[in-house]
Amino acid sequence: MRHMLPTLARRAAIAALLLASFAGVAQERTLVLSAFGVSQDLLRKDLYAPFEAKCKCKVVVNVGNSADRLAKMEARKANPEVDVAVLADFSALEAAAKDLIEPIDVSRLKNYAKLHEMAKDPIGNHMGVGYTYFATSIIYRKDKVKIESWKDLWKPELKGRIALPNITTTQGPTMLLMVDKAWGGTTPDFATGIQKVSEIKGGVVTFYERAAQVVQLFQQDEVHAAVVGRFNWPLIKKLNMPIAWATPKEGLTGGINVLVIAKNAKNKDLAYAFIDEWLSTEAQTRLAMDLVDSPANKEVKLPPEVADVLTYGKETVAGLNLIPPTQMLLRRKSWVDGWNSKIAR
Amino acid sequence: MFDHRRIGIALAAPAALFVALGFIVPVAILLSGAFGTPGGWGLQRFAEFFGEPLYREVFWRTVKLGGLVTLASALLGYAAALAIVDAPAGWKGRLTGLVMLPLMISPVARTYAWIVLLGRTGMINQLVTGLGLSDEPLRLLFTETAVFIGLVQLFLPLMVLSLVSALENLPPDVVSAARVLGANWPLAFVKVILPLTREGLVIGGTLVFTGSVTAYITPAVLGGSKVLMLETLLYQRVSVANDFVAASVIAVILIAMSVVTHALLRHAAGRGRK
Repeated sequence: MRHMLPTLARRAAIAALLLASFAGVAQERTLVLSAFGVSQDLLRKDLYAPFEAKCKCKVVVNVGNSADRLAKMEARKANPEVDVAVLADFSALEAAAKDLIEPIDVSRLKNYAKLHEMAKDPIGNHMGVGYTYFATSIIYRKDKVKIESWKDLWKPELKGRIALPNITTTQGPTMLLMVDKAWGGTTPDFATGIQKVSEIKGGVVTFYERAAQVVQLFQQDEVHAAVVGRFNWPLIKKLNMPIAWATPKEGLTGGINVLVIAKNAKNKDLAYAFIDEWLSTEAQTRLAMDLVDSPANKEVKLPPEVADVLTYGKETVAGLNLIPPTQMLLRRKSWVDGWNSKIAR
Repeated sequence: MFDHRRIGIALAAPAALFVALGFIVPVAILLSGAFGTPGGWGLQRFAEFFGEPLYREVFWRTVKLGGLVTLASALLGYAAALAIVDAPAGWKGRLTGLVMLPLMISPVARTYAWIVLLGRTGMINQLVTGLGLSDEPLRLLFTETAVFIGLVQLFLPLMVLSLVSALENLPPDVVSAARVLGANWPLAFVKVILPLTREGLVIGGTLVFTGSVTAYITPAVLGGSKVLMLETLLYQRVSVANDFVAASVIAVILIAMSVVTHALLRHAAGRGRK
């Protein structure tokens, strides 16, 4: 068809091409990722940089917490800026409900088959793929107290020496799930759990909102026990204090983070390539070795000292008590209301 | 100053445009978020907000802490300002500089320092247990007391500086005159100094109160979720619950609180004039 272009148009096209080549970098394609702020330097080293080398493109990252980033995606719904987003499972479900993301064609992901069963379709309809898990449990000063059950948080020697996650954090509802279960709760509104937490609220040093705060509280000898996600464990270990990770008899809880594709994303091919890269055995191994994320890819082999710090292994992953994301989405408001009327006041 | 008025208008245009786009438009959007209801306009959102017991508690805690911090700053501020104004000429500048010094350090750094000072093993608790005032270390961190201490430390300099400039404008002999006429010190302070420096108190009081009720770092770091104030609640509503309506309502309440406080202080000062 080219020979049919009028000369003038051809000249203009050539001129445009020349101009574009002067612009250089601006011509390079970019993939926009929306992600959590943590470990971005390591993610760049272990994931973005190797991917950029392969795709000859640039990865631009917008960071922030889930609510913030969801709000941005909603504001740009008609003209999406983001291609791929990293979200907690229930936030991804919220994004799906708001029609902000689209189903993933898993046949385009060659690493999909390598995922643990639970990561394959965590929120249903293939709206997202899980790329990491984290366990949540109690960490405690083993020289001060012994923890074998979620009920041990009620031990009198821990009065005034514990930190618990606030309901507003990702850990908050999962803690309620376990506490409710431990104290024999039967209703999905976690009434028993909320009631039990309210009984010790005076003895809780703080209901933390940022997980990093917990490290400081242990360091300053403010607390002897806290409920935290496994992703905090590497930092806690660095304190070199006699702190242990509990394996309560009622089990561990935790969560899954997922990768989603924005609806009408502008760089869908790059988005698929990027997700595939993230799920690859190589990238998942690199990220695990740097203690960024626990692997969702079951082919990842880790040395014991690394596996010990992460949420690793088929049994660990299968044993996690997770809140089904649909229930989280449905019940979260009632948990927050119950918490606000009994605990926050 | 200018031959043509147009030049003046042209010069003011960029700043006016900036204020319009950067302030008036966002405030209008904020107000529409807070006053808009499904059926039109109204105070329904505010009724819902104050219908929530937790939010009412947060509101009153904010008013209480703002008031107490302002009161404490006024008391400490007058003492410090009188000392500065009374100091020999060479020392005035140095003392004022010392008052301003903390303002040059980031509030984040200043607030974090309090975590170390107020902790179980911090300096204050070492002192308390060392002196035998208490067997157990006091629980200070994540309490209203901690937020109060942090806010006073944060905003006291603003009060001191306002009062210093007010006291410097005091006619030089009025206090001596009052003393000669038989007024003792407290009486001279109440009858002479206070009425003549009330403008400084109004400015300082407004700055300290507005600063205290809108501070975020201090209540977030020293109070945490157990000592929510309006500003920390606002952040929580936006960043966790994605609830921009409640956030707009809180923002409007904060603006109203600042305006009302300023008006009240001004009114009180005006009454003192008669």
